[in-house]
Amino acid sequence: MKKITLSIFLMLGIIMSLPQDLPAEKQLTALQILEKVDDVINAPKDQDLKIKLILVDKNGKEKIREMSMLQKGSDKRMVKFLSPANQKGIAFLSLPNDIMYLYLPAFKKVRRIASHVKNTKFAGTDFTYEDMEAIRYSEKYNPELMKKENDSYVLQLTPKKEVKTDYSKLIIWIRSDNFYPFKIEYYNKNRILYKIMLREKIEKVNDYWISKESEMEDLKTKHKTKMCIVNVKFDSGILEKKFSKRYLNR
Amino acid sequence: MKIKLFSIIVVYILLCLFSLPVNAQNDNSSDKGIKLGGYLQTDNRLCLKDDNEFSWQEYRLGLKAEAKPLEKARFYSEVWLRSWGFPNVQNISDLKDKNMVSTWNLDLREAYVDFYSFLSDNLDIRIGRQRIAWGTGDKFNPTDNLNPYDLEDIWDFGRHLGSDGFKISYYPGDFTFTVVYIPLFTPSVLPRGNWASALSSPMELPHGLILGTLADTIDLPEKNLKEGSTIGIKISKNIFDFDFSLSYVHARDPLPLANKITFIPTEKYEEVDIKSQLIYPRMNIAGIDLAGAIGSIGIWAEAALFFPEKIKMITDLSSLGMGVHESVALDNKPYIKYVIGMDYTFKNGIYLNIQYLHGFIHERGATNLEDYFMFGLECKLLDNKLKITPIAGGIEIKEFKDIKNNYAIIYSPMITYYPFDNAEITIGLRLIDGKDTTSFGRVKDYDELFFSLKYNF
Repeated sequence: MKKITLSIFLMLGIIMSLPQDLPAEKQLTALQILEKVDDVINAPKDQDLKIKLILVDKNGKEKIREMSMLQKGSDKRMVKFLSPANQKGIAFLSLPNDIMYLYLPAFKKVRRIASHVKNTKFAGTDFTYEDMEAIRYSEKYNPELMKKENDSYVLQLTPKKEVKTDYSKLIIWIRSDNFYPFKIEYYNKNRILYKIMLREKIEKVNDYWISKESEMEDLKTKHKTKMCIVNVKFDSGILEKKFSKRYLNR
Repeated sequence: MKIKLFSIIVVYILLCLFSLPVNAQNDNSSDKGIKLGGYLQTDNRLCLKDDNEFSWQEYRLGLKAEAKPLEKARFYSEVWLRSWGFPNVQNISDLKDKNMVSTWNLDLREAYVDFYSFLSDNLDIRIGRQRIAWGTGDKFNPTDNLNPYDLEDIWDFGRHLGSDGFKISYYPGDFTFTVVYIPLFTPSVLPRGNWASALSSPMELPHGLILGTLADTIDLPEKNLKEGSTIGIKISKNIFDFDFSLSYVHARDPLPLANKITFIPTEKYEEVDIKSQLIYPRMNIAGIDLAGAIGSIGIWAEAALFFPEKIKMITDLSSLGMGVHESVALDNKPYIKYVIGMDYTFKNGIYLNIQYLHGFIHERGATNLEDYFMFGLECKLLDNKLKITPIAGGIEIKEFKDIKNNYAIIYSPMITYYPFDNAEITIGLRLIDGKDTTSFGRVKDYDELFFSLKYNF
């Protein structure tokens, strides 16, 4: 009798769980998936990262860069170069509404930079200034679900009309278990695929998902930039005021 | 001179040592050590005319030291140790002086201490020798009037000397208030060599006279706060996604102005020696600047309204029996200098920068301001290993109504190669053409080829 009762409870449990899980997953729209992505990658209140960049040319020759990156929420980011010597001190601040500042130590001046630089390479890496901005994809792009694979979603993102970007579309692969994007294809204005980013070593640190290694490849030049997170701190209480011109040259 | 150099070395070493004990006590973070860095740069220039003489040869070791002994304090200094390629030897005794054979100098560019969140969370103070760069223009900044110009190398345009003083920055909300105080006046450094004549108008002699020798004396302002100090105030804010600033500076013009000329006849027929006396006029300067974007094009604009002190010119021709004449060297009528610029990066990576400038640094008075169009176009190739600047330079127009006789053009293409990290090699040309009536036209015979090498460490 006990066995029968237990079996019934188990069956009921399984049956009850099915309508809640599977249909809910199926019901997720492309936008909901993208919003979950935004929530996952921007989950920490703030991020303090030390990053090692390895630039690899088509002959396999490597150059090393080191930088620190602070991020507050999903729309404020400060990047500072720590090495090599000729780039040390260069700092980049990205704020909402496409406001960007660059500090170049040689000129002793914080310079406002316009959105025309967004499609240019950031300090010789394969990341553009646009790639270095903090972002909520769902605010800039209209998503379309292309396919649902076993363990991932594939979305096509096209920029919203009012958004200034040099990408005609992105195709983004998202893990279905944690909604972390692990591959992004970037298409230029001629709708030609020209860059691919792969995110690896996706780990949980202090309850937040983060990719500790990522790689951006420029398909035309065969040049790659590997980004390795050397040190990470989440929710360390970075003050809002640090994302200002005042702190760019400190 | 030697004592001065020695003093600079001692001060520099003391400043470096200053951070060491603090560092030793707090050496638990990479941020809290003294960080040394710098660069080695060689700069060689060869005249394209006059038997291809070297016009410039400089070897510079730039040393930077930075320390953050506390979260709210930072020390920074930069020193240039330079060797000049040209011996300064004129006689046998000079050959016994190593500094005359191999000339060198030491230049303390900056040495200051920052105190962050000083007394108030929104207050920062910087004390010491510092460069305070105001304005949004690209190297041409009419509102940048706190530090004197360092025009020693005219091709390194935009370079200023550091000034000993303090800067207070206060950040209430979205505003930034800046107050600068520099107690003593320092004059600008004038161009070396050929370029000295570019920034001064040719002297017009009375009809029939020939110039013998020209001697001058400079009257520096008295070394007190009233006569020598510079005060600057600036307020900045972002409005409608544009960065705006309003500024006011009470300073002295850092370039000298002749206020007395005395003609003395020599023994030769119709030849006169001239003695001139120069001063640094007081200036009050109200400035406004902005930077932002229209579409994806970066734009900036900057204007400075100068209120100069009236300076009389006394021309003493009494030795020639022609009496003493009085005229105006500088009128106290306000005049405005401004710059408007834009930049854009094309899809293929080509970067374009254009500026229109009304009034160059040495020009004073509403009727003496000329117009300049500056431009630069560059592209990077081979994974950023090569930077080519095929078009760079400027056009000077003294008089729009008669451009044909009042123009000058500077064209300076260059190529920079980055063979590996921290290293760069640049080769380029500087070609000048124009009329003698213009500033650049006066140095049209000094076209040159330049080659420089820089390594950062």
